[in-house]
Amino acid sequence: MGKLWLALLAGLAVTPAQAAAVKDALVVDLPGDVATMDPQLQWDTDSYTVYRNIFDNLVTRDSTGKIVPQVATAWHYTDDKTIVFDLRTDIKFQDGTPLTPADVVFSVQRIIDPAFRSPQLSQFNQIASADVTGPSQVTLHTKTPYPALLAQLVKLSIVPKAYVQKLGNQGFNQKPMGSGPYRLQDWQRGVQSVLAANPAYWRGKPPFATVTFRAVPDTATRIADLRTGRADITRGLSPDDAIALKSEHALKVLSVPTERVAYLFINAEAGPTKDVRVRQAIAMAIDRDTLITALQQGYAKPVNIVLTPANFGYVSDIPGWPYDPARARALIKEAGAEGAKLQFLTSPAYDRRLNEAVQQMLGEVGLKVEIVTMDQATYLKRRQGTPQEAGSLSQGRWSCACQDADGVIFPLFRSGSIWSKYSNPAFDAAVDAARSVLDPAKRLAEYHKAFTILREDVPGVGLFQDVAIYAARTNLQWTPTANEAFFVMDMHWTP
Amino acid sequence: MPRHIAGRVGQALVAAFGVLSIVFVVLHLSGDPTLLLVPPDASAAQIAELRHALGFDRPLLAQYLAYLGQLAHFDLGQSLVQRAPVAVILAARIPYTVELALAALAVAIGLGLPAGIAMAVWRGRPAARLLAVVVLAGQSLPTFWSGILLILLFGVTLGWLPTSGADSASSVILPAVALGLVTMAGFARMMRIAMLDELGRDYVAAARARGLSRGAAILRHVLRNAAIPVVTIAALEIGNLLAGAVIVETVFAWPGIGQLAMQSIAARDFLVVQAVVLFVSLVYIGMNLLADLAYAWIDPRIRRGP
Amino acid sequence: MRRPPPAILLLLAILAGFVVMALAAPLLAPYDPLHQSLLARLRPPGTALRAGRFLLGTDDLGRDLLSRLIFGARASLAVAASSVAVSLATGSLLGLLSGWRRGWSEIVIMRLVDSMLSIPAILLAVLTVAVLGPGFVKLVLVLGLTRWPRYTRVAYAQTLQVAALPYIRAAEMAGCRPWRILLRHILPNIAGPLLVVATSEFGLMILFEAGLSFLGLGIQPPTPSWGSIMSAGRDYVARAWWLTVFPGAALFLLVLSVNLLGDWLRDRLDPRSATR
Repeated sequence: MGKLWLALLAGLAVTPAQAAAVKDALVVDLPGDVATMDPQLQWDTDSYTVYRNIFDNLVTRDSTGKIVPQVATAWHYTDDKTIVFDLRTDIKFQDGTPLTPADVVFSVQRIIDPAFRSPQLSQFNQIASADVTGPSQVTLHTKTPYPALLAQLVKLSIVPKAYVQKLGNQGFNQKPMGSGPYRLQDWQRGVQSVLAANPAYWRGKPPFATVTFRAVPDTATRIADLRTGRADITRGLSPDDAIALKSEHALKVLSVPTERVAYLFINAEAGPTKDVRVRQAIAMAIDRDTLITALQQGYAKPVNIVLTPANFGYVSDIPGWPYDPARARALIKEAGAEGAKLQFLTSPAYDRRLNEAVQQMLGEVGLKVEIVTMDQATYLKRRQGTPQEAGSLSQGRWSCACQDADGVIFPLFRSGSIWSKYSNPAFDAAVDAARSVLDPAKRLAEYHKAFTILREDVPGVGLFQDVAIYAARTNLQWTPTANEAFFVMDMHWTP
Repeated sequence: MPRHIAGRVGQALVAAFGVLSIVFVVLHLSGDPTLLLVPPDASAAQIAELRHALGFDRPLLAQYLAYLGQLAHFDLGQSLVQRAPVAVILAARIPYTVELALAALAVAIGLGLPAGIAMAVWRGRPAARLLAVVVLAGQSLPTFWSGILLILLFGVTLGWLPTSGADSASSVILPAVALGLVTMAGFARMMRIAMLDELGRDYVAAARARGLSRGAAILRHVLRNAAIPVVTIAALEIGNLLAGAVIVETVFAWPGIGQLAMQSIAARDFLVVQAVVLFVSLVYIGMNLLADLAYAWIDPRIRRGP
Repeated sequence: MRRPPPAILLLLAILAGFVVMALAAPLLAPYDPLHQSLLARLRPPGTALRAGRFLLGTDDLGRDLLSRLIFGARASLAVAASSVAVSLATGSLLGLLSGWRRGWSEIVIMRLVDSMLSIPAILLAVLTVAVLGPGFVKLVLVLGLTRWPRYTRVAYAQTLQVAALPYIRAAEMAGCRPWRILLRHILPNIAGPLLVVATSEFGLMILFEAGLSFLGLGIQPPTPSWGSIMSAGRDYVARAWWLTVFPGAALFLLVLSVNLLGDWLRDRLDPRSATR
């Protein structure tokens, strides 16, 4: 035992020599396998990471987060509910057939068809219809004026109409084919997916001949894979993993502040937290600076509201609650909530350390927090259930992958939403107004109102802006983005 | 005798049916996959709509009968998450699972039997005690820890074996060792007792009187007599090796059905979980039926049993 | 009864040591096992700070590892002992019943045993935790209710043998009440083998709790158990070895001692090896 340990320690100090030669292949370690290859079905991170490299989108985001053309070259609104897209004519699918407006219309109609039962339906169901309106033109109609439309279209993959109809939905899910930089070469379910470069890709020659996405559920094993050169890049590391990897010469840590906000949900409709004073006390009991410096080791940025600066609608002039345990204790005493028991619902998907740190901080101001860990499905059932079922507290890491406040505070706090355990007509009016006007200035003004209300009512506390951490071989060049997209086309080996 | 076998087979099928029913009820009590299938910003109405479309708002009994009806046509159904036939998903994993189970069994038997023999021969000596500690050591460490230590030592530090995956012939070695060390103790224990038994018999003395070396005589008899207990223990362990290797499969990224079952439970992908359970229980029951029949054949007194 | 050999006495002493550690945890632990200091995270063994001296270092929330280890013995031992008690009681009762009554109860119970044994225990445990939710009592119930068939098998086989003995038949003829025969005559005769199963299950249960902790469904934080300390420390295998090595060593020593004791018991009770 002791000897084994010595041997291990010795091994940890040195990294085995790596073949420095530039490879023509890229190997990615992901936590899981692709669930569906059909880009209009599952939207979990692992599936997303793989299949989005096979397809193109109508619009995309550049490295600064701005929405820029991809299949569409330009777009304009003809009225509040109608938007016209001009399309490129030089894009070919991987089987050589051209990408036409009919394919774009088919892609939209397919995902909004209730009979198709796409899990992504709620992201696109504001679209009423799509029509071909010219040889290289498509027109979309929305049910109401819908400012988040372009942000949602960033995630809509364009699928080939004729090919999908020929193979059927199930066949397409097995053998997907798109117009993107890579095509599916081999898919061993549960093991790995291998993509091969599409040499005729319209945006240029893809950087690697093949890209292999392996399913490796355990983070410690993924790191071992990186250290031995079995994998070139992996995602989803913790700040502590990043610190541990800093001494490895063959590896580097890539990180980027994301649109994902870490927040503490506080139930405003049931239990001791129904009293707004208790909620305000909780906001003042949490030492967010220490969470960021000690727990996140700097891999996080402070936020004043439940939103990140990477989202549209972020307002920086609303002050966050200060860390003031003495005032928090006094408020709790005033509310008669000393020693009140709060259930903190969570699942293994959320950072255990943050839960326990919050538990201690609230304990110090006189609240008894009980952490209840359930598996993810049970957790969702309770968290999204009635206010009585939802517990008093929980941690969240929210991203709508749309970089818009509408995708964050609307589902989290609008009354009637499954996540919301809070109701304030003035807040509802503000977020409703912000989602049905197109003018950005007017929307921003509504969000300012909404966040001012949230600050006083505290149905949740923004903890920090999450930072996505990746580890890669030193000679892999890539700049990760705030929306956590993983486009292989943007990576390359340095010679 | 044939009637007896038919009875046993019938009872075994009832047991498999029991397993399936237990798992069906427990699974459905634990909720349904609708909430995991929709994006986080879905509305309550959209969720209710999807739940209805998937049929999870029907009474449990109706769902159960529908499932049995499907099974009666040898149809395992479609995975809700992967939108592919369950049979295809399961079939992709079975070769890996069988490979790992057999390799782990080989490790357990290959190390366990010699260790058991040595422990019997050296009985009472310090060497036997030491061996007992070594044999039990594998059973006394959590695999989520021993697994990562094996990866760090043989994969990272020494660089002898792959750290994860199932893509080369040597990939199976580390997970098989991690799993086999846990199972080894059972075989060693059984072998030691069988060996002690033999050492106390008259024929050992007789064999030696005939001039046969003691070792050869003992080994031949012991191995013959131990064959059936070995099969019995292997039969008992097979269920655990097939789908209970959840943690080892997770640590080593081995794409077996244990991992599939865990992921499917987490995703509430009911039909996949049920298919895994059905597969494992049929294999388990089949193996034990064979072991029972072998016993009955050897020792007729047991035949009157259930 | 022969005096146990010194090696066995040593094992018993180790076990007793762990039990004392669990019972007297508040007296033995130098610090509050739950008190975090986020600015003193992951300090190596022997670190001395203003807050005190951390003999075994601190964990990822800056808590004293030694104190957590001492308190962790409580949760680990309590889960194992209670779940063994639940499964031993349930399993033996059903085994006695099916071996004594035979007939339908035998068929139903033993097929149920087959069914239960054919589902890998870890899957069944994860499923039941999903339904019941976490917590100490529920964890004990989950473990107890998934492990009883092992005892039933042994109790059943032993009861079959013992019930066929002439003196039991004689007692039955003499009009002794069945439950009296079961408790007074049969149970004492089959207790030995059941005890052997219980010892090996005890070690398994400790590992099982650790495994469920690894899957995030074990003892609830912040209460420490050896399994939960290890599964949390596993993220730091390279950076903070002490987080897994110390609880791992304690767990190893405990489970190994229990298993060695079990093997010794088995030897003492097995009539075949006793002939030698």
